[in-house]
Amino acid sequence: MALRADNLWYKDAVIYQLHVRTFCDSNGDGIGDFQGLTQRLDYLQDLGITAIWLLPFYPSPLRDDGYDIADYTSVHSSYGTLDDFQVFLNEAHKRGIRVVVELVVNHTSDQHPWFKESRSSRDNPKRDWYVWSDTDTKYQGVPIVFVDTETSNWAWDPISKSYYWHRFFSHQPDLNFDNPEVFETVWEVVKFWLNLGVDGFRLDAVAFLVEREGTLCENLPETHGIIKEIRKRVDVAYPGTMLLAEANQWPADVRAYFADGDEFHAAFHFPLMPRMFMGLKLEDRKPIVEILEQTPDIPESCQWFIFLRNHDELTLEMVTEIERDYMYDEYAMDKTMRINRGIRRRLAPLMNNDRRRVELMNGMLMSMPGTPIVYYGDEIGMGDNIYLGDRNGVRTPMQWSSTLNAGFSSADPERLYAPVISNPIYGYQAVNVYAQERSEHSLLSWMRSLIRVRNGFRVFSRGTMQFLTPGNHRVLAYIRRLGEEIVLVVNNLSSSAQAVELDVQEYKGYVPIEMFGRSLFPRFGTAPYLLTLGPYQFYWFQLRRI
Amino acid sequence: MSEDTFLADDLLRQLISVGEVDLLVGVSSHNPATPIHQAIQVIEQSFQQNFMRQRVVIVLMDGASKDGDGTAIDQNENALPNNGRSPGITSLRTIHRVTANFLTEPLPGVALRTILAVADLLRARACAVVTSSSTNLTTDSLARLLLPAYREKFDYVAPLYRRHKFQGLLIRNLLYPMSRAVFGCPIREIYPSEWGFSASLAAYCLNQNVWHEDSIRTRPEAWMAISAATSDYRCCQAYLGDKGALTGPTPNIVDILRQTVGSLFWCFEKDQDAWLDSDKTASAPTLGPAQELTSEPTDMDRHRIFEMFRSGVTNLEPVLGSILDQETHAEIKSIVELEEGKFRFRPDLWVRTLYDFAASYHHAVINRDHIVQALAPLYRGMTHSFLVEHADSSPAEIEAADEMLCSEFELQKPYLRERWKAKVEVKS
Amino acid sequence: MKETIVQGLHQAYSNFVHMIGEFLPHFLVMLIIIAIGFVVALVLKYLLRTLLRLTRLDRVSEEAGASRVLRLAHLPPMSELLSRSLFWVTWFGFILVGLSMLGVASLQEQISRLLRFLPEVFVAILIMFFGVAIANFLSRAALLAAVNAGHASARIVAWAIRFVIWILAITMTLEELGLARQTVISAFSIVFGATMLGLAIAFGLGGQDMARRFLEKYWGDARQERDKEPQPL
Repeated sequence: MALRADNLWYKDAVIYQLHVRTFCDSNGDGIGDFQGLTQRLDYLQDLGITAIWLLPFYPSPLRDDGYDIADYTSVHSSYGTLDDFQVFLNEAHKRGIRVVVELVVNHTSDQHPWFKESRSSRDNPKRDWYVWSDTDTKYQGVPIVFVDTETSNWAWDPISKSYYWHRFFSHQPDLNFDNPEVFETVWEVVKFWLNLGVDGFRLDAVAFLVEREGTLCENLPETHGIIKEIRKRVDVAYPGTMLLAEANQWPADVRAYFADGDEFHAAFHFPLMPRMFMGLKLEDRKPIVEILEQTPDIPESCQWFIFLRNHDELTLEMVTEIERDYMYDEYAMDKTMRINRGIRRRLAPLMNNDRRRVELMNGMLMSMPGTPIVYYGDEIGMGDNIYLGDRNGVRTPMQWSSTLNAGFSSADPERLYAPVISNPIYGYQAVNVYAQERSEHSLLSWMRSLIRVRNGFRVFSRGTMQFLTPGNHRVLAYIRRLGEEIVLVVNNLSSSAQAVELDVQEYKGYVPIEMFGRSLFPRFGTAPYLLTLGPYQFYWFQLRRI
Repeated sequence: MSEDTFLADDLLRQLISVGEVDLLVGVSSHNPATPIHQAIQVIEQSFQQNFMRQRVVIVLMDGASKDGDGTAIDQNENALPNNGRSPGITSLRTIHRVTANFLTEPLPGVALRTILAVADLLRARACAVVTSSSTNLTTDSLARLLLPAYREKFDYVAPLYRRHKFQGLLIRNLLYPMSRAVFGCPIREIYPSEWGFSASLAAYCLNQNVWHEDSIRTRPEAWMAISAATSDYRCCQAYLGDKGALTGPTPNIVDILRQTVGSLFWCFEKDQDAWLDSDKTASAPTLGPAQELTSEPTDMDRHRIFEMFRSGVTNLEPVLGSILDQETHAEIKSIVELEEGKFRFRPDLWVRTLYDFAASYHHAVINRDHIVQALAPLYRGMTHSFLVEHADSSPAEIEAADEMLCSEFELQKPYLRERWKAKVEVKS
Repeated sequence: MKETIVQGLHQAYSNFVHMIGEFLPHFLVMLIIIAIGFVVALVLKYLLRTLLRLTRLDRVSEEAGASRVLRLAHLPPMSELLSRSLFWVTWFGFILVGLSMLGVASLQEQISRLLRFLPEVFVAILIMFFGVAIANFLSRAALLAAVNAGHASARIVAWAIRFVIWILAITMTLEELGLARQTVISAFSIVFGATMLGLAIAFGLGGQDMARRFLEKYWGDARQERDKEPQPL
């Protein structure tokens, strides 16, 4: 299925996030590569996803899992060549799958030639490509992002005997966007990939592009100016390209990145994610409803991207301290699981491998307003390894089968870029694609049908959201509506069966049809509509007037 | 006994929505001087500060008239939508409110039974009840009522207050020492305006076949405290702070005696097995600082109190003759003749008088309500005596006097037993 | 003539003896019936008492509050009362039967009149019983209320209430018994009506100010005075 021209494809997409290194190794070196990924595109097509978001695959010293880039217009040798990438891209497009790549332009690796030049002397033409200072006193009060490893946003460069600014690791110096050359060079990078055929970019750490004294150096007007310029050029030269913002901010602050529909096409809704986990543990819809009610409207052409887990820690930046403590106590009693104000665990372990809860969370993800992102491996309930450093515990090899190395690689196990999960619960022997493909009732099969149902109704991706407020706070219920397409979603957040009476007078006369089994339910009348749900059960009802 | 249905369908429906909770606070009636939403706000603030993670519910009794859409209204404009958010309250979880609707303001016993039933259905681990006489409910005081039951597994949490030495004399000179002596119940405030309890005590009380009794319907507090003490439930007393004003618009003494002493005597009747042939005592440790007494100057009409005593005893001579033992009656008649300055109601006489009243109540020598009413002048006599005797006493001296009075009650308990078991001639 | 007198005396004597001879058996029968009745009544009394005690009637009566009423009226417990009542009713019945055996026509007539009168006597007794009990109760209630409210004339109020209810009860009793019915009713109406009218006129016309001052004093002072007592709880 070839791609159809659709400038708003990202609104209807189901995104699959993966790192090429983790997915499939074709040459037996223990590291996933593009050829291996290409081989697995059929799997992704069967899953029903419509876009892949690739984590950084550029040349890099890999001190931050590829986010420390040393060359923007190439492919890391471990993952293949540019040609391999091109083949992958073409094959993905043939299957109707779009590809989104990372654009990490807030900072580079300190091994990037640009930085090497910049630091070589104060007179170097690229000196001003980075943010230098003779002292570390500028931009006081700006918070540190990686609090567990960094103590300052300035690092001393012994070569040029001055300080350079870095919002992330000290080996990731920030580019200086006040220099027009930097911007133009970045634009060249963008063009490079768009000419190859990529469908969109995730702009990493976009909030931090510009620094100004007396501010928190985040979300500055100049940053928006930069993005607007990129957007303008992209719309002209490469229509249909999506720009996705990675801005871990409150929805009201992220709103600015949509502007009037002339900045980012999409942005992550970070604060919603921890509240979904919180609501489930509290057995109370309150945190979820509150954050969504606080979420501002965005331009028609824009979209929120929502997710349960990703390659980073489950971030608890956008919650109160009390909420953070609660989340730690409920989800990360073992302090090894905690990092950088977050929790470095995958979805299944967070749900204690409770299939019902995993389904419920995915059900909410697929039915809430926004484009859902599935993190690789979560569709089969992969586990994690909290004893690997940093956030590498959630970046272990994909588990394809119960054979050697989980079918990920033919290399010696010791050679793998990271050990496969092999404990009795989440180990590859128990959790793998091969086994789940052969069971109608596996999580994988269930995810396929979930995505299939979602893809069949545009209301999920583009419809409005209206909360119902039944007295039973353990039930989260909402109506999605797009024209005549109306869907009622009812979620039981509780571990026990619940009864709920829904006020659906507005929809009197409609017949609810359960969307997975297509069963008819009694027609809505004027009286409150009684539903009973089992533990963690949810319903999707299509409402039809017949 | 089959359970009669007393929870309304509407309330049940609300409970379905709430589900299991950790903490429950019942507002059985609110002080008319305090708008209900203020009380609710204090409760919610207490939840927010002290019980952020717990599942909580507030149970309201609503006997106000309603407007057309069913919103409860009253003259103080206490209109309050269910589960509406109080300003300034942010919490991790939904704070539930359920409202039990009645046609008129429910009696305290009806309200308490409803609260107990809700606590039982929702499996609340710790509960507290707030009544109309709660004048100083604060976020801290509520936490002190809930925490012992929630964290330390106490079943009954009675309040302790910082009082004026002349405040609460009915408790000091009658209710507390008498219940302590008879039942071994060490709880001072057995008619509390707010108290806490556990789910298991709630279930126990709910299942007792007493809820149709008039004494329980009007003043159930003492019965609950005594039940906790005599049924081996763990009790404690938590210091809550100031009780409130020494004087002020006081309800009628006779009404108070009817409700308190009447229901205490009823408890004697009902739970005879617990005390008639037993001397068991319970313990109730104090949590927080011990109760304090203050002694600011007061402005009380002692002369009037004495005159009410004297005229009462004189005019009620035939009635008192039916109630009191001859010797007791003679002694009282003799002290009535004393001049006001020389009058003292000796503790031993007071105790004997009360025990005579209790026994006469048991034998129903005359109408029981009349027996309780006849106590009013004698109570006034005791009050006057106390005010005079302790005008300049320090708190420590008053505490010592309390203990002596308690000892006197215990000492004369055999007398009560003797009179209780005796065959009594009914007088007219 | 002497023979006539003697014959007459003989005749009278023989008539007398004959009368005695005829009466005596009846009398003896009466006595036997009464004696038998006594025994039967006694047996029934003990049987009923035993049965009622086995069925715990006294306890039920206590719980129903009836025992309290009996005690107020100086009556024995319910089981004893019923068994004694059965004794007397039974024996009385035997006595009446015995008397009827005497064969005295006028006596029989009186006995049937008495039997017809008995229900009214019973009701009259009940009226007096309840009247007295109510009078005692209400007068004591009024006394207590007035004393606790601090009224100086509490005893007078109590006495007055007792008196009024007694008069009412006596009047109703006499009316029930049918004794001087018209006189009693008229007298009661006159006295009661006149008293009420007099009070109304006196209080309404002559005592307006006093009534107003009384009410103001009562409500005002009582409220103020209550504020000067310490809070009991």
